[in-house]
Amino acid sequence: MFEIVTTPIETDAVLASVEDPTCGGLVLFEGRVRNHHLGRDVLRLEYEAYDRLALTEGQRILEEAEARFDIHAAACTHRIGVLEIGDIAVVVAVSSAHRDAAFDACRFIIDELKVRVPIWKRETYADGKVEWTGCEHCARRGHAH
Amino acid sequence: MSLHVLILVGGRSERMGRDKALIERPDGTRQIDHIVDLAKGVSGNVFLSARDSEARGTGLPVIADLEPGAGPLGALASACAAHPGTWLVIGCDLYLLDESTLRFLIDHHEPAKGATAFRNRIDGRPEPLCAIYEASSISKAAKFSKDTRCARKFLESLDPEILDLPHPAALDNANTPLELAEAFQKLTCGVESKAVQLLYFAALREARGLSSETVETLACTAAGLFEELRFRHHLPLSTDHLRVAKNGEFTGWDSAVNSGDEFVFIPPVAGG
Repeated sequence: MFEIVTTPIETDAVLASVEDPTCGGLVLFEGRVRNHHLGRDVLRLEYEAYDRLALTEGQRILEEAEARFDIHAAACTHRIGVLEIGDIAVVVAVSSAHRDAAFDACRFIIDELKVRVPIWKRETYADGKVEWTGCEHCARRGHAH
Repeated sequence: MSLHVLILVGGRSERMGRDKALIERPDGTRQIDHIVDLAKGVSGNVFLSARDSEARGTGLPVIADLEPGAGPLGALASACAAHPGTWLVIGCDLYLLDESTLRFLIDHHEPAKGATAFRNRIDGRPEPLCAIYEASSISKAAKFSKDTRCARKFLESLDPEILDLPHPAALDNANTPLELAEAFQKLTCGVESKAVQLLYFAALREARGLSSETVETLACTAAGLFEELRFRHHLPLSTDHLRVAKNGEFTGWDSAVNSGDEFVFIPPVAGG
C-alpha cells in the first residue's frame, strides 16, 4: 500500500504491513533528510504532493514491483510538509521468501518513486536561499539518481 | 494606393525541425500556398522574402535578404529597398490566418499611423507579422534591426493603429511540433472557449502566485493550454521540462481540452 502522510512516519508499522510467515527476507529502506545537497548546507526541507495522482502512481509502482519480482508484499509511505534534518521522508518495505527479490524490488520502488510520483521538495539552505530541487531530466525519464 | 505583400519564408524553423512554410495543412495544401492564396486575394503585388532566391514552387518573385540573418526587420528593409511603398508583412507560420482577418486588417488600415496591426489576444501587444507598415516607417527598420531584431518592439516604436482580432485565434502561430498540432486541432475542430480547472504545484505554484484557478481557454490540446498560460503569466518552465496530468492521470501533450477538465502541469519531481 502506498500512503502519503503529514505526520512522522512510523517505520515499524510500514514494516509490519508486509510481514508474513512465508517470508525469510524483509528489506527496509528509510530516506532521511540530510544536511547537505550538492555541497551546500541544508537547514530543512518542505515536501508537497499532488495527492490524487501521487497516490495512484505510487500504488502503480508497488503493483509493478509485485509483478516484476518474486516478492510477497511491498509498502511505501511518504511524508510531506516541513521536515527537519534527520527526519524520515520516505519508507519502503518489501517482504519475500528469499532476500534477492526483496532487495531488487525495494531498489526498484524507491528509484521509480523518485522519477514518477508527483512529489516536490523545497530546500532551505544555510545561506538563506530557498530552492525547489528536482532534476529537469526526470521529465524525460531514463535518468538515474 | 497599391499595397505590396511580403510573405516571410526565410526563418530557420529550428524548433519545428522542418521548414514551416512547406508543412502540409490538414486539407492537404502546403502552408505557403495557403498564405499565397490569401495574399493574392488582397493584392496584385505579392513577394516572398527568403534567404535565397528559391520561389518554393509559388511562381512568385523572391526578395532575398540584403543582410542575411537580420530577421523580419531585415526582410522588410530589403523589400522596401526593392519596391518602395506600403507593405503588408505576413509570417508563414500563421496556420490559422484566414481571408476575413486579412480583409479586416486592410479595411481598417490607417495610413496616418506608422503601421496597422492586430492586438495579441493574450498579452495585448501588437503582432508584427501580420501588419501593414508605411514606407516612412520601413526606412527606420534597417537602423532598428542593428540595435535589436525584435520586430514587436519595432512595431511598438511606430505608434501603430492596433485592432482587435475579429477571430481571436487567427494569429496563433506555431514554432514547434506541439504548437503545430494545436493549430491543426483548431483548424479541424474549430475554436471555442472552454472553462478548465488548473492546479499548480511547486515552482509553478510560486510563479503563478496561486494554487488553483478556473480559466477560459481557446486551446484544443494540453500543450496549447500550457502555452497560453506560459505566455500570459511568464511561467518559468516549458513543455520540455514538464509532464501533464488531466483529471488525475498522466496524459500526453496532445490530449484534448474539454470544458470541466482539471489540468496539472507537473514540474520535475523530487520525492524520496
